[in-house]
Amino acid sequence: MEDTIVALATPPGEGAIHIIRLSGKNAFNIGKACFEPKNKNKWQADTSYTLHYGWFLDGTKKIDQVLVARMRGPQSYTGEDVLEIHCHGGMLVARRIIEACLHQGARLAEAGEFSKRAFLNGKIDLVQAEAIVDLITARTSLAADLALNQLTGSLSTKIDDVRQDILDILSYIEATIDFPEDEVDDLAQTELSERLIKAKEKAVEILKGSKTGKIIREGLLTVIAGRPNVGKSSLLNAFLEEERAIVSEIPGTTRDEIHEYIKVGEVLLHLIDTAGIRDSSDPIEKIGVERAWKALNKADVILLLLDVNEYNAKRFSKEEQIIMEEYAEKTIVLINKIDLMSSYELNDSYIPKDIFVLPFSVKTRFGFEELKKEILRRVYEGNHAISAEPLLSNIRQINALENCINNLEKAQEAVYANIPFDLVSIDVRAALEEISLITGHNVQEDLLNNIFSRFCIGK
Amino acid sequence: MEYFAGKYDVIVIGAGHAGCEAALAAARMGCETLLLTQNIDKIANMPCNPSIGGPAKGHLVREIDALGGQMAIVADETSLQVRTLNTGKGPAVRALRVQSDKRQYHYRMLKELFKQPRLTLIEALVEKLKVDNYRITGVVTRNGARFEAKSVVLTSGTYLRGRIIIGEAIYEGGPGGEATSSALSNNLKELGLDLGRFKTGTSPRIQKNTVDFSKFIIQPGDSEPKRFSFLPTESIFWGNDPSKQLPCWLGYTTKETHDVIRNNLHRAPLFTGVVEGIGPRYCPSIEDKVVRFAQREAHQIFLEPEGINSEELYLAGISTSLPEEIQYMFLKTIPGLEKAKILRPGYAIEYDIVKPYQLSLTLEVRSLPGLFTAGQLNGTSGYEEAAAQGLYAGINAALKVKETPAFVLKRSDGYLGVMIDDLVNKDIKEPYRLLTSRAEYRLLLRQDNADLRLTEMGRKIGLVDDNRWRIFNDKLKKLEEIKKIWYNTVFSVKDTIVQRILKELGSSTLRSSIRAEELLKRPEFTVRHLQELIPEINNYEREILEEAAIQIKYKGYIDKQQEEVEKFIKLEEQELPADLDYDKIRGLSNEAKQRLKDVNPQNVGQASRISGVNPADISVLLIYLEQRKRGMADARSESND
Repeated sequence: MEDTIVALATPPGEGAIHIIRLSGKNAFNIGKACFEPKNKNKWQADTSYTLHYGWFLDGTKKIDQVLVARMRGPQSYTGEDVLEIHCHGGMLVARRIIEACLHQGARLAEAGEFSKRAFLNGKIDLVQAEAIVDLITARTSLAADLALNQLTGSLSTKIDDVRQDILDILSYIEATIDFPEDEVDDLAQTELSERLIKAKEKAVEILKGSKTGKIIREGLLTVIAGRPNVGKSSLLNAFLEEERAIVSEIPGTTRDEIHEYIKVGEVLLHLIDTAGIRDSSDPIEKIGVERAWKALNKADVILLLLDVNEYNAKRFSKEEQIIMEEYAEKTIVLINKIDLMSSYELNDSYIPKDIFVLPFSVKTRFGFEELKKEILRRVYEGNHAISAEPLLSNIRQINALENCINNLEKAQEAVYANIPFDLVSIDVRAALEEISLITGHNVQEDLLNNIFSRFCIGK
Repeated sequence: MEYFAGKYDVIVIGAGHAGCEAALAAARMGCETLLLTQNIDKIANMPCNPSIGGPAKGHLVREIDALGGQMAIVADETSLQVRTLNTGKGPAVRALRVQSDKRQYHYRMLKELFKQPRLTLIEALVEKLKVDNYRITGVVTRNGARFEAKSVVLTSGTYLRGRIIIGEAIYEGGPGGEATSSALSNNLKELGLDLGRFKTGTSPRIQKNTVDFSKFIIQPGDSEPKRFSFLPTESIFWGNDPSKQLPCWLGYTTKETHDVIRNNLHRAPLFTGVVEGIGPRYCPSIEDKVVRFAQREAHQIFLEPEGINSEELYLAGISTSLPEEIQYMFLKTIPGLEKAKILRPGYAIEYDIVKPYQLSLTLEVRSLPGLFTAGQLNGTSGYEEAAAQGLYAGINAALKVKETPAFVLKRSDGYLGVMIDDLVNKDIKEPYRLLTSRAEYRLLLRQDNADLRLTEMGRKIGLVDDNRWRIFNDKLKKLEEIKKIWYNTVFSVKDTIVQRILKELGSSTLRSSIRAEELLKRPEFTVRHLQELIPEINNYEREILEEAAIQIKYKGYIDKQQEEVEKFIKLEEQELPADLDYDKIRGLSNEAKQRLKDVNPQNVGQASRISGVNPADISVLLIYLEQRKRGMADARSESND
């Protein structure tokens, strides 16, 4: 069997369900690592043509409740071991499941690759061969166009910059190895280590930006929290009145958690109005509170509404304190009903310094503009221009960048452990190859060109 | 005027480093072999540096030896100085480099040729290849002698339409003032071969007793010199006394040197457009260095002895084709060379090459079965690259005569495999030099394990004699014994010597007992420490101990590369039918079609490495192959009906 590939098998976009297909020699192992079955005995029975219900995980993080269909090769579509994961129909969930598989060592399938394997393994008849060829060639040229379009302007400059750093590091190592008596100054271990760290940090920075790209497509998960009657629903309504609503009432949600999609500038907000958070003994309310905590956990941004009178009296509930302590980074505190006060001045020493606090009035919309600005600032953090800058958003590119970063880390650890240069170079080269997947450069050619242009070599 | 002069199995044209290996290999494999050279006094000549080896090149020499070739033995025997380079940079890139005595190198190789049964040596200039129905049948010399053979190996180096350039002086000629052949070059063109034109250069040689050595830094040989050959060899000059090795000397050019060169660039053929051929970037001339690296105030010069009794010194680092008088002028500005007398000026040389994409992976010209080409003629540079190709082509020429399967080395087998694969599949635009960075499985292709990788193959094709085979098997046995000892030796926490050593190394001390093998995996722990702890292993040769240690110490990395190799081999094993019509394959890009037709790869792996062929093309190709296979099966079952 070939290496393990993964891809979305259903058309991309929103739908009732998505199916992700995983095929290859490690498909079952990846399944074992990512799937937590409800019925363990049935799953461990290792049977073929069976359907299993449970949680799909990325590491320890739960992604979605899914159905997994297991088919052992050669009795499968591709002729290899295949898992098909049926998840809920949002693209976000599908992407995260694919990412989880990538983290376990699968690779993204190339255009037409499942069909290709199926054909080569005798699973598809001759008549369809032509269609597969069309699929491979058409999608490849389309993908190439896309890649080019996506990599324009400042992003391309940034990626090139990191790639050049890595190329320089590798050139240095290779030049000292291949031309030991030439005029190449040996790179000190500390300097090598520093340069690896610098390159890695730059790559991490781009990756952060690419996460922004994801937010732009899938929405910034914004959770409105606060005690009952503090004005949460009014805030949600205010957003709906002021901004453009995209989707209303996503099916599958419950009464006590309301989802809305609205657009602020170029950014899609996925707003969740949670049940009021408070300690409760009522079993039904308890479920709602539990769900609210889950939402807070997942949130990109938390809008915590506080009543101005309570605030001035320094009366914070246990739950409010927990939010401000645990989620300080992503929390924006809105001191609501400021219109009831004679002055908009607030004593801001009641709240941890790193939390953004805004005097606010849902009723008069006081502070609303500033809130939107702050949300946008957070989205574009690290990408200064708020204009629609192209972002590294393709899952293939993100995966390559992640692998690049991992390899840089490995290289740096190896340098730290005094591992010889010729072994360090293996990881550096792997990093370079990964990032070159994004830019489409040829590593071997560029490496030699770079060595000969940088170093005066030759006896 | 043409007359029949004899019939052989294999004819080798040219007796440089490629030709000598090719002829010896063919004869040793049982073929009646004829070696033709235009000057017997220049056999195995070194027209450039008097040194052999270095990174990747040294690896090649070890591989030549592991397969039963000659270069390593002669280099060891004629060595004036030995150094291992890259000692601190890791196991895979340690590389041996020797300075050799040029005259003795020639004599020793000549002696080997004369000693070799079934090998005939004749001085003659070949002007024409005899071809019958697109198959090679023999060669014709300038004097009209026609020799016939089933296989011909052409190793004519830089002699095809050679042109020497020294400033404004330009004349026909090969290295060392030898005659060149335009007749043979024209003949190759008539036979339909695509020729290219390359350029290379060399440095001035000076008279030793005109040098002020006090202004140079001495570069002595290693105190524990290693050898290229896996057989026991010894330098005829210093035997087993390393202190008798000759030194080299290191000096520097000055700002004045660069000024002289800069002021005379208008007379530099490299910049005036006189040179048509493409030169190698890794071996730039001093004028090129001065222009491209203008900020550097000094460049290195190595003074290398040409021989033990030679009054000549080679000036490595300042290859040049500037006019003679300028060469004199700039030498005077180099500290220590103020009074140096030039014995032979530096020069550039242009020559025709056979573009290697026309070869199969056996170095046979695809359009002219029976003709093999090797060495600098194929666009490479370096004695080692030439010798390795010569050996490889000689082996395949002999196998062709014997009508037995060809000998093909993969990229995972050795540097030789990497080089052949690159030559055939990559678009070679400058003289090709092997570099360790060209090998993707570098960690597996070490100098120390060249015999483990190749000697068995050498034995199979009949090149490895009983003596080498016995030595090889002895090493295998000892490796196993050593590894067993290291596995079985367990150190306890109470072992004070171990704890002391670990403390001294700054390594964490033992908290539970540990196998010797595990200790060795710590980066700071070496074989020497184990030798101190386990005296019984001191009975083994140091080289074998080192080999065992590398296998254990770097096992994690080695296993990982081995996995990569297994993936790689899958595609290598998927053969492409020779009669594939790439024009008919729907979905291949036009560029891929053209390149695949040019190279006509032997397997899918090779196809995937051809420049201009992308992964989607390979997918399309795989589907086509499957279609074809099934189509044929259908056709067969239909005809059975």
